[in-house]
Amino acid sequence: MAGSKTWKVGLLYVLAFAVLLVMVFPYLYMVLGSLAPWNEVDRKLIPSSLTLRSYEWLFQGGEDVVPRPWLRAFFNSLLVTTASTLLMLVTAVMVGYALSKVKFKGRQWVNNAILFQMFYPSIILLIPLFLIVRYFGWYNTYWAMIVPKAVNLWAIFMYTNFFRSIPDELIEAAKMDGAGHFTIIRRIVWPMSRSITTIIFLFLFMERWVELLWDMLVVNNEKMLTLNVLLAQMFGPYGGYPGPMYAASVLLTLPILVLFLLFSKNFKEGMQFILK
Amino acid sequence: MNKQATKVGWLLASPYLVYSSVFFLIPLFWALYLAFTNWNLISPEYETVGMQNFIDAFFSPSVRAAFWVTYKFMLMFVPIVIAGSLFLALILHHLPRWKGLFAVGYFLPYLASGVASSIVVKGVISYNSPLNQFLRDAFGWDIDWLGSPILAPLVIALMMAWKFVGYYALLFLSGLENIPKEVYEAAEIDGAVGWKRVWHVTIPMLYPSFYTVTILAVGLMFGIFTEPYVLTGGGPEYATHTWQLEIYNQAFEKLNAGYGTAVAIINSIVTFASIFVFRKVLEKWGGKHGWE
Repeated sequence: MAGSKTWKVGLLYVLAFAVLLVMVFPYLYMVLGSLAPWNEVDRKLIPSSLTLRSYEWLFQGGEDVVPRPWLRAFFNSLLVTTASTLLMLVTAVMVGYALSKVKFKGRQWVNNAILFQMFYPSIILLIPLFLIVRYFGWYNTYWAMIVPKAVNLWAIFMYTNFFRSIPDELIEAAKMDGAGHFTIIRRIVWPMSRSITTIIFLFLFMERWVELLWDMLVVNNEKMLTLNVLLAQMFGPYGGYPGPMYAASVLLTLPILVLFLLFSKNFKEGMQFILK
Repeated sequence: MNKQATKVGWLLASPYLVYSSVFFLIPLFWALYLAFTNWNLISPEYETVGMQNFIDAFFSPSVRAAFWVTYKFMLMFVPIVIAGSLFLALILHHLPRWKGLFAVGYFLPYLASGVASSIVVKGVISYNSPLNQFLRDAFGWDIDWLGSPILAPLVIALMMAWKFVGYYALLFLSGLENIPKEVYEAAEIDGAVGWKRVWHVTIPMLYPSFYTVTILAVGLMFGIFTEPYVLTGGGPEYATHTWQLEIYNQAFEKLNAGYGTAVAIINSIVTFASIFVFRKVLEKWGGKHGWE
């Protein structure tokens, strides 16, 4: 009986590991493709030798092609994503706190408006949003990529629900000690929400980092492109350079993976709340 | 509810209020107006054309393609992603150790950019790729993956499934972990073991997770842009032409801003109606089996 159980558990692990391989296979393929000699990219599963030529091409340029501004695009992505994500976090904490801990007139109204807006199909807004941004004179600027993405309804919703689980007595006690709302947010609410903040931050950062359509619409100056857009647009004309494609894909994927693995300890705890 | 609290409340909520007025309300009304004009995104002159955009859209082959392509994607994606994520969740649920480690591994595809994964997929199925070499050598199959109107959507659906299966598995996993042990014990006393147990206990108790995952997966199919844009451009013969591609092409490539907005409005009505129908069918089906 015990033997059959061990056998079953062993099989389960084999299965689990096989699935894991399938799930990470595209990542492995990407990394191997970026390190393979150019005549073996997409032709051999395991390259016969490894080379950094694709990365050199990306950053220094090749014989017949002027290098595209990959580093600049990487910097653009980093700037736009970090700024948007931080703004989304700050605004979500503020609004979430107001909706869950400040009993103000009209609170229910704001809450309903947010819920309505969350389930509203945003595709209708795409064209007029573009027009507004152009009207503001933000076409081809960082503002166009940051400001319309500074408030996130899902993040507000998550924080509102999470802050509801913080006991009111704690807030009242702090108020007794003379703390204002901003002090309460900074000293009590913010530190208590670390695990959920980690998850919200990761999701917001990831989603902003891989945004394609919006960033593609509001920017056409080569110097302002984000890495994701540059990569998507390079696909056609430079299709003959698959090695550097993979190198750029690695460059695009790495920051997210690093962030995620850095915070993976808080992952389960925060995830449990998100999935509820 | 005192005055002070009201002031602070509105102040704290002001980022949302300002944002929503500028980036939600104004564009919303603007869109409702634009959809009835023939504006071309550039010219200062344009006129209102009544329902013409909606009529044109109804008879447009590319809009019709987008309509059907979405359901075709759903037909492939939804069963694959539900079976796959349930399978992953069951593996994770029964692993005695390193559950978190494997869960994180399964979740990784969700973090990949659609552009990067499209590049990899395009490489994996390119003409000289190891996969195609193998299929040619072993079976004599010469498959033009992205050139076939049946295979191209399947490739995209599989790629989307790869991306979302780990995320949905976590939803199923939390559903599985929320089933109380007593329920199983009680079922065992009533003679439910093996497959009976799965059918009469696990699946009904998982119904809320099934419901959530199905609705999420259905909704997702109405918003696909990146993958077909990078992989196929909507081809071959509109076989992967999604709503978002149609809206993008009309508004920003052909500069038909008014018409594009009308298509966007049609898209949201279709999305809303479809999800509504799916919800009702799921609820009815669940209700018939006494699940909720």
